[in-house]
Amino acid sequence: MTVGIKDGLKLFGIVVVFACAAFVCTFFLNFYLDALAVRDRVEEASLPLYEAQLLSAKLTCLISGLCLMLVSVVLIAFYVKLYLDGHAKQIGILKALGVSDWKIASGFWVFGLSVFIGGAVGFGGGYAFAPVVYESMSGDGLPEVPLRFHGELLFFLVILPFLCFSALAVLYALLKLRLPVSALLRGKEGKPVNSRPPKKQRAFLTELFFGTLKSRPALAFFVAFACFCFSAMLQMGFSMRDLASEAMGITVAVMGVLLAACSLLLSMTMLVRSNARTIALMRACGYRLTDYWAAVLGGYHIPAFIGFATGTVYQYGLLKLMLGLVFRDVEIPDYSFDFALFGVVFAVFVLSYELTTVLFTLSARKISVRSLAVE
Amino acid sequence: MILAENLCKFYGSGDAACAALKDVSLEIGKGEFAVVLGQSGSGKSTLLSVLSGLEKPDGGRVVCDGEEITAMTEKQLTRFRKGAVGFVFQQYFLLPHLTVEGNVRLCADLAGNKDYGEIVRAVGLWEKRKRRPAELSGGEQQRVSIARALAKNPKVLFLDEPTGALDEATGRSVLDLLRRAQEELGFTSVMVTHNPSIADMADRVVVMNSGKIAEIRTNAQKKTAFEIGW
Repeated sequence: MTVGIKDGLKLFGIVVVFACAAFVCTFFLNFYLDALAVRDRVEEASLPLYEAQLLSAKLTCLISGLCLMLVSVVLIAFYVKLYLDGHAKQIGILKALGVSDWKIASGFWVFGLSVFIGGAVGFGGGYAFAPVVYESMSGDGLPEVPLRFHGELLFFLVILPFLCFSALAVLYALLKLRLPVSALLRGKEGKPVNSRPPKKQRAFLTELFFGTLKSRPALAFFVAFACFCFSAMLQMGFSMRDLASEAMGITVAVMGVLLAACSLLLSMTMLVRSNARTIALMRACGYRLTDYWAAVLGGYHIPAFIGFATGTVYQYGLLKLMLGLVFRDVEIPDYSFDFALFGVVFAVFVLSYELTTVLFTLSARKISVRSLAVE
Repeated sequence: MILAENLCKFYGSGDAACAALKDVSLEIGKGEFAVVLGQSGSGKSTLLSVLSGLEKPDGGRVVCDGEEITAMTEKQLTRFRKGAVGFVFQQYFLLPHLTVEGNVRLCADLAGNKDYGEIVRAVGLWEKRKRRPAELSGGEQQRVSIARALAKNPKVLFLDEPTGALDEATGRSVLDLLRRAQEELGFTSVMVTHNPSIADMADRVVVMNSGKIAEIRTNAQKKTAFEIGW
């Protein structure tokens, strides 16, 4: 009733994340299904490598696909909450007039459209990229695996997620709509007043630093996720050049940069938008932009660096697991932690992260108290 | 028509808890026009929210048109609001993306009322029915809000400072419109206001102070919207 098709198509973050999930799953699952069909033609000596490749396709698909799908779940919940917060008054009006929660929530199915678009793009991309994967996985005594289209993958990677995510958006909206009408009409979230006094008195900027970080845990998660993707997939991509193929390595690295850029831009935009009043008032009171940069965006350095560190450990652990468990019977180049690569990726990360925060700080110059008053 | 007994409402918790309503009891008869008067923070808007089922009280009960709304589930309350009551707010609360006609039709469709066009005509906005709220003046927006409430053929109309954001002339015309609609349709109305002059139009006046009822009086001689002071 308040949500339109256009709102469902605006969720660019979900489109990108889900496209990546569908992309990875499409070519690995397709390879898995096609490789199963040529099992009889595999020579005895090449069986360990064949089994290892099947297992690696399954594992990569399971770990990466599942991680990205979980992020999509968080993203869709985040978007639903964001929409409800932004339209609290309108929803309050509808509820006051007697429109049921179910009727309001049912409109949120359109949020699933972003998953459908992402899934379709990823699925198409996965098939376009599949010949590269097939080529990198053949040879060494393995028979050529012919590329076949598997219609069931279209259902499991595009249609089923669209239905599930649509249902998820509706149910989550239904859950979040359980607020008193009067609270919605006032544009508040209806949270109980915290009657506890603060443990200790802090300076305004310090209080703002911790307050901003604590008030939006979803944004902290997305910043951490962005840095995780950057760190993990860039390092993994370059390490995979020797272990798999150059094309695979580049694909993983590009996907990492894309996911990181998309998540970071989304969270920074939301952060600046949700702190528009604070920024305008700080400027009106005479604070400098650097104060704002340090106090509002500064807090997000913590999840950013945690995300980067986790990504480094994750990519190292995943590659070690693959080589130790999956390829234990196969002769492949040795892999150890690449400190030089880590140093380069870390330097690029620090530079790009700080540059992004500076650019977003500068964009906050446009927000004035007057513009907010007019609004 | 409306019976409230021992209503209590608190906001916040612990040391920060604040009592907005303290043991409030009142009765409003069918077809009456009741005005709740009080200073800012006296609890009058909270009383309206509780009487209309927008908020649940922490104690006491409200019976409206024979149904105890304080005992209703959220689903039953939605059904109650859908059928029996209309709301008019100070901030109009119109849906910005809908036209005048769309806003009125929203409620008319809920109540299964097909004659919404007549209501738009009655509030004098037929010529502007294709406009959106942003293209209307404050008084016109409030007329749309009234038309929207009336489109449901409500048994009770709750009005929260309907003239609070309007100038005197527009406020009087809105009050006159409400009074005429009530005379014609016979619904009960409860209006919250801080303007004591409006009380001269009411059948019953409830004066609130610090979350308690300070006075309840009835008017033998009611005035019209153009006779009251402002």
